Amino acid sequence: MRAARSGNAPIGRRALLKFAGLAGAAAVLPLSGCGATPSTQNGVTTLRFMQNKPEVVAYFNQVIKDFEALNPDIRVIQDFNEGNFVPGLVRNDPPDVVTRGFAQATADFVKKGIFADLADMPVAATIDPKMQELISSWGQYNGNEVSALPFSLAAAGVIYNRDIFEANGVAVPTSWDEFVAACETFKAAGIAPIYGTYKDPWTLSQGMFDYVAGGSLDVAEFFSKLTARGAAISADAPESFTSNFSPALPKMLQLASFAQNGAASKNYADGNAAFAKGQAAMYLQGPWALSQLVAANKGIRLGSFPLPVTNNEADTKARVNVDMALSITRNTPNMAAAQRFVNYLLEPSVVNTYNEKNAAFSPLKDAPAVENPQISGLGASVKEARYYQGAGTYFPPSVPLNNYVQSFVYGKNGDQFLAALDDEWRRVAERTAV
Amino acid sequence: MTASTLSDTMGGAAAPVRKARRSSREGYKVNWWLTALMIVASLTVLLPLYFTVAMALKTPDQIGTGTGLAWPSPMNWENFAAAYVATNFPRAFMSTAFVTVLSVLGSLASSSLVAYAIARNWNRKFFRGSFIYLLSAMFIPFPVIILPLIKQTALLGLDNPAGVVFLHVLGGISFNTLLYIAFVRSIPVELEESARMDGATTWQVFRKIIFPLLAPMNATVGIFAFLGSWNDFLLPQMMIADPSLQTLPVVQMLFQGEFNTNYSLAFASYLMAMAPTLVVYILAQRWVLSGVMRGAVK
Repeated sequence: MRAARSGNAPIGRRALLKFAGLAGAAAVLPLSGCGATPSTQNGVTTLRFMQNKPEVVAYFNQVIKDFEALNPDIRVIQDFNEGNFVPGLVRNDPPDVVTRGFAQATADFVKKGIFADLADMPVAATIDPKMQELISSWGQYNGNEVSALPFSLAAAGVIYNRDIFEANGVAVPTSWDEFVAACETFKAAGIAPIYGTYKDPWTLSQGMFDYVAGGSLDVAEFFSKLTARGAAISADAPESFTSNFSPALPKMLQLASFAQNGAASKNYADGNAAFAKGQAAMYLQGPWALSQLVAANKGIRLGSFPLPVTNNEADTKARVNVDMALSITRNTPNMAAAQRFVNYLLEPSVVNTYNEKNAAFSPLKDAPAVENPQISGLGASVKEARYYQGAGTYFPPSVPLNNYVQSFVYGKNGDQFLAALDDEWRRVAERTAV
Repeated sequence: MTASTLSDTMGGAAAPVRKARRSSREGYKVNWWLTALMIVASLTVLLPLYFTVAMALKTPDQIGTGTGLAWPSPMNWENFAAAYVATNFPRAFMSTAFVTVLSVLGSLASSSLVAYAIARNWNRKFFRGSFIYLLSAMFIPFPVIILPLIKQTALLGLDNPAGVVFLHVLGGISFNTLLYIAFVRSIPVELEESARMDGATTWQVFRKIIFPLLAPMNATVGIFAFLGSWNDFLLPQMMIADPSLQTLPVVQMLFQGEFNTNYSLAFASYLMAMAPTLVVYILAQRWVLSGVMRGAVK
């Protein structure tokens, strides 16, 4: 069992090399078939359109078909493999048109100048400036460029079961007291007021944490002050989490007390299945859950309302996120075609129809009022710009906010929770300080 | 030699029989405890498989009901058709098959040649060094080098399935060579000497004597290469620039949104993608088992 020695005739090695060469050629051969295709062929420009929502791929295929019928000189290839975006940048061959959910991660790309300035496109003027502000608030390239135009705005509040509300004679609450009274009514009737899915901690942070924070303080202002303070932040500073979030926390615990028994062992999928079967009156989820609820129970009648966190009606706001924002990569060779495609997507008939069909809000200034009964209850908040981006979205991914929120809901220790957030924030600020 | 010793001990595991044992007709007694343990253990495979099949046949409103254990009725076979259309299954399948077949062939050819060269020149420093060089590649975590690799493959025009094949072959070469070298060493050098006496060249010795003798190890390496290549997600996802050439595991992401998963279509699609793996396993399991032992002693 030890290394055996054998002679190596030179001719043998030469034959070996020949074989290696053949194998190499065989491996490279298929390449000839799939070299990079020039983006313009026979006068037809090929655009690559990277789209971030797999569930609407079929919808966009139809949109693209309509666009190509009107623009025979452009062909659009849809790619939903968002994981290929960064590799595309590395290859220096990114897709021409990109949609992304717009928050911190996309803003990082914006600040590096990945996307072209769209300010001069006529269609940019048709966008509601308040919604554009949601994008620019994350930072702009060169301080003023418009790197992305909102395409779809998702507004989240409380999803409620209309049948249960009607059967118990409960109206949509417009103040915190009314909300608590409604919960008590359901509880007395033996119905779980809220369905909690605490096993998936993100549902806690995007749900009760974001709603309570957004309803009781100006989230954007809080985070801009906090960021400005940098690494000098401490728990007793006026900008800290401890100083600002303390009054709101008891309301989170109150919300948690209205959840069904055993919420800790239910995840998001369980919650969708149970809520669709009418096992609770309310569900702290965004519009993304609607299609799942309807898929599980076609007959369910749903509505949404923004959670009133105070008794001042003007404070009742919806949590929003820019679900899809359109961008064109800066050094695309097909700028003109890409702009035509973006223009087409933002035509009222296209963008309004998409949002109407997908339970979202159109970003256009003169978009018609939303008729979808599932989300129409949030329409007034969106129209009047009474909305905020979730506090959870401001956290860098290195802070495990979801888990902190979860342990706060279980352990009910608010001071520890906020002190931990202050600590985490300071550590991140120290690391990223320049 | 090692292998035969091993198989003796394994086959003989049931052999030591206590004299006092009341045996059945053929001196064979069922070990009920072990059998029960095996049945429970087999559930870890069978239960998920059952869920996969059941899930693939459910309508969306059947998914949320009950524990999930119930068999769907009526069965919704349309999930398969819908998944087939949504993923453009034939095209994705061909792309995956292209990557897998070439990766397997490439791995077999390259690693066995390298191993043969190294094992038979072990007395030379260069070959020993190159063995260590190849092995050291196993210590580099793949995610660390993925972006530079993407850059490099793009420059070489390899941002397509052919590039994935290339990297699969390359990525497997260190482990596969390790397996092969151990095996080549156990082949008596006298076999080669007799071939040389008959005038065979090194290539002929490899092709006619060594490679056929490597059969069990070829099966092991081939199976590893097949599974690794067929199921690979990260590399195709990041490397293949043209979405129309994308492989099955990546295309199947279609069914998973950030907040929405279309479970029934997803599982129908997974089943269709799994079918070739199952077929290969059923056909090759004889060699898998024998091959696993061959690799046990390095």
